[in-house]
Amino acid sequence: MSEESGASGHASATLHPGGEPGKHAHSAIPYVVVWIALLFFTVLTYLTGKQHLGHWALFIALAIACTKSALVALIFMHLKESSGMTRLVFVTSLVFVGLLLFFTVGDVATRFTPATPAGAPFGTERSQPEGLLEHEMPE
Amino acid sequence: MGIPEGIIGHHFSSLARQNEAMRLGMWLFLATEILLFAGLFTGYAVYRFEFPLAFADGSRHLNLAAGTVNTVVLITSSFTVALAIHFARTDRPRAAAVCLVLTILMALAFLGIKAIEYTEHFHERALPGKFYAFKEVPIPGAAMFYSLYFLMTGLHGLHVVIGMSVLTWILWRTLQGRYSSRYYTGLELGGLYWHLVDLIWIFLYPLLYLI
Repeated sequence: MSEESGASGHASATLHPGGEPGKHAHSAIPYVVVWIALLFFTVLTYLTGKQHLGHWALFIALAIACTKSALVALIFMHLKESSGMTRLVFVTSLVFVGLLLFFTVGDVATRFTPATPAGAPFGTERSQPEGLLEHEMPE
Repeated sequence: MGIPEGIIGHHFSSLARQNEAMRLGMWLFLATEILLFAGLFTGYAVYRFEFPLAFADGSRHLNLAAGTVNTVVLITSSFTVALAIHFARTDRPRAAAVCLVLTILMALAFLGIKAIEYTEHFHERALPGKFYAFKEVPIPGAAMFYSLYFLMTGLHGLHVVIGMSVLTWILWRTLQGRYSSRYYTGLELGGLYWHLVDLIWIFLYPLLYLI
């Protein structure tokens, strides 16, 4: 990796000890835009979350949360202008989070009684008895 | 004013390389933090799948207003940290210091609101594990929801305390004039940690408060 491609955009700004450091080279406007966008998505999460949209609720909440984190990671955390190496580290951690969640939830979600070993905490019978479904839910 | 003395380690050929190494190291650390929280999120997913009703009911007994205000507080504190880095790298250390002070104040506000919530839970005896005796949600799985709630918000709260301490130290260094357009990597890395604290909360908020 060459010095030029290895160093990120703002690292190269620190490289010139001679010239006027870029007072105008870097703008704060993206941060303001992202902040407003994050506030907007927070309101959106709040409003959609309060509707209790059944099966869609979790999907919508996670989609909004992922959008918000993408904004934070790319703009606030400078991944947009970072080197490929730092991006790779971040993406790799996300891949392993995905693997962990996918196989664990996949296991729990696909269990059925005859396949469940004796004494297993899940999948032997309904943990949430039918009667409880009438339990009053506050709104 | 050149690059401050003693900034570049003798084993780095240039400041750019050192900055890149520091940044990479910080991201590796953040990756381990993400995986640490991923364990709790996986536990949450399993138990929410098993006890959907208890999780929904437990969630609706949390203080939604406090959670929402805290979300706005953390997002805004993330914004002020991003601004602090921006001001340092455009040679305005005083503005950077003001932004860091605002961030630390918002971190304190977050912890204060969380403390009020925890106090409510203690009075209602909505406590984790075998200490659970919350009369309003007397169904199986509710104790598990509150255990996960305390574990996740507790670990996150610990990160807020650590992040706040790191930012206080960085504020001190900013006031000493250590960060400028020539060198601001230390400030940037402290900021990265704070943004991670915000990232985790972005997921905790809908998963705990808005089921």
